[in-house]
Amino acid sequence: MIDLLQIVIEGSLVGLVYGLVAISFVVIYRAAKIINLAQGEVLVVGAFLLWTFTEGAAGLGWPLPIPVSLLLTAAGCMVFGAAVERSVFRPLIGQPAFTIFMAGVALLILLRGLVQLVWGAETRSIPVILPEGALQIGPFLVNTRLLIGAAFTLALTAALHLFFTRSRLGLRLAAVAEDHTTALSLGVSVRQAIATAWVLGTVVATAASVVLLSGSILSLEVAVIGFKALPVALLGGMESIRGAPLAGVIIGVLEALASAYLDPLTNGAASGLLPYVAMVAVLLIRPYGLFGWRRIERL
Amino acid sequence: MLTLANVDVVYGGVIQVLRAANLEVREGQMVVLLGANGAGKTTTLKAISGLLVAEHGEVTDGRITFAGRDITHADPAATVKAGLVQVLEGRKVLEHLTVRQNLLVGAHLRPDRAAVRADLDRVFRYFPALPELLDRTAGYLSGGEMQMLLIGRALMARPRLLLLDEPSMGLAPMLAQQLFDTISRINRDEGLTVLMVEQNARAAIAHCDYGYIMEGGRVVLHGSRDQLEGNQDVQEFYLGMGHGTERPSYREVKHYRRRKRWLG
Repeated sequence: MIDLLQIVIEGSLVGLVYGLVAISFVVIYRAAKIINLAQGEVLVVGAFLLWTFTEGAAGLGWPLPIPVSLLLTAAGCMVFGAAVERSVFRPLIGQPAFTIFMAGVALLILLRGLVQLVWGAETRSIPVILPEGALQIGPFLVNTRLLIGAAFTLALTAALHLFFTRSRLGLRLAAVAEDHTTALSLGVSVRQAIATAWVLGTVVATAASVVLLSGSILSLEVAVIGFKALPVALLGGMESIRGAPLAGVIIGVLEALASAYLDPLTNGAASGLLPYVAMVAVLLIRPYGLFGWRRIERL
Repeated sequence: MLTLANVDVVYGGVIQVLRAANLEVREGQMVVLLGANGAGKTTTLKAISGLLVAEHGEVTDGRITFAGRDITHADPAATVKAGLVQVLEGRKVLEHLTVRQNLLVGAHLRPDRAAVRADLDRVFRYFPALPELLDRTAGYLSGGEMQMLLIGRALMARPRLLLLDEPSMGLAPMLAQQLFDTISRINRDEGLTVLMVEQNARAAIAHCDYGYIMEGGRVVLHGSRDQLEGNQDVQEFYLGMGHGTERPSYREVKHYRRRKRWLG
């Protein structure tokens, strides 16, 4: 029983990191109506920026205090997010969904190449930013890095929810999420809102990279997290900020359980598959995800 | 206050919808714009509010001025800021937001937060049913409630000119009547200038100061309420009255419509 609970706890914590990446999908999708296939690569670029301002700067003889590194990383990824929006997706506003989809694929390949070009192909080590180690809570051992990440995800979810429902800028973004023409008629600048969403989404993805990679190794392979978080975002509902962490926990726990109990029987295939099976099953019943916006039809 | 001078609108670079449309709205007036489907009424409103961009439309000739400023190619955010707000046709509430959030989005460009709160009360004076609905999801309101919300939301921007696109569409006759009465009251009490597109010609003419009739992208007839009500063509086409006082049969009207065009 304690084993089982330990697995559930670990799964939930890992799931909340997926949830954090899923939030970055959701933030962009709400405003731009684009599922950014290259979100994993965006996260990797954020992580390389983080490396640049920590180990990279130290290597050049400019060691920076961690808070300064984090601020510079945040600023860098904001510029990067805005640049992606401006150069790839803004010119495609109003184009068919397939064109935008293909642009996403192109961006994915382009960013991989760009990262290799700028930072090289070798792996990099990210310094310890969040405390390492484990916390003993009752009979359970909890990874402190993931625990802090989970708390951050939950706090961010609450903050973003308040932002989208109470603040002026958030309501503008919410109006854009509903319908671009209606938002325009209310005097909302749809372009500005979409640019804001890209910046916000990139910052959230980079925050996820901090949780994911603190004290760990960064390589291009980390981008796979994008395809792990995408089913989480779909399951939670592409418009729902609050759905993302919950869906993350569901997927994370399923993955952890499968990894502990089914993987030995299936040559390790179950933990990779089960999250997607669960996602397909839920989407068959609720195509808009758990908390996504159902189209309100009036008969 | 608002003038359209020889405005041409072309969609997608090929389809011309407005042809030298001329129109004037004076301060404080309630003006209606009538015409058959496809006559260019909605396009006229969108040309004014700058919303043509959303549909690949463009003003290719002519000039639109509002309060002395050329707004021919102004973007929608600038026109809203200048005090010109359009309520789109088809009950475009922000479905998944609450009624309160919908109203607040209407005021998102205003810096005076305290006055925004006071304006909620002002909106409730005209639409006393709204306060009870504040926390409801807007997509689940009834048609009449949505229309109240839409006009309320537009009022939250404190417009000087309100553009309404078929506000009575799909409403029961009594609700439509109430809505027109409320719009008239807002026009009178607030001195808010209104330009309204309507299919419900009889009620719209009865509530207006001045009216324009469009066909084929042009304004073909205009006049004060009395002039329009007295005009034989308007009576036949829009008010369903025959030459005398008897109403012609539907078959006759259809036949007549096919034969006669407004312009040769």
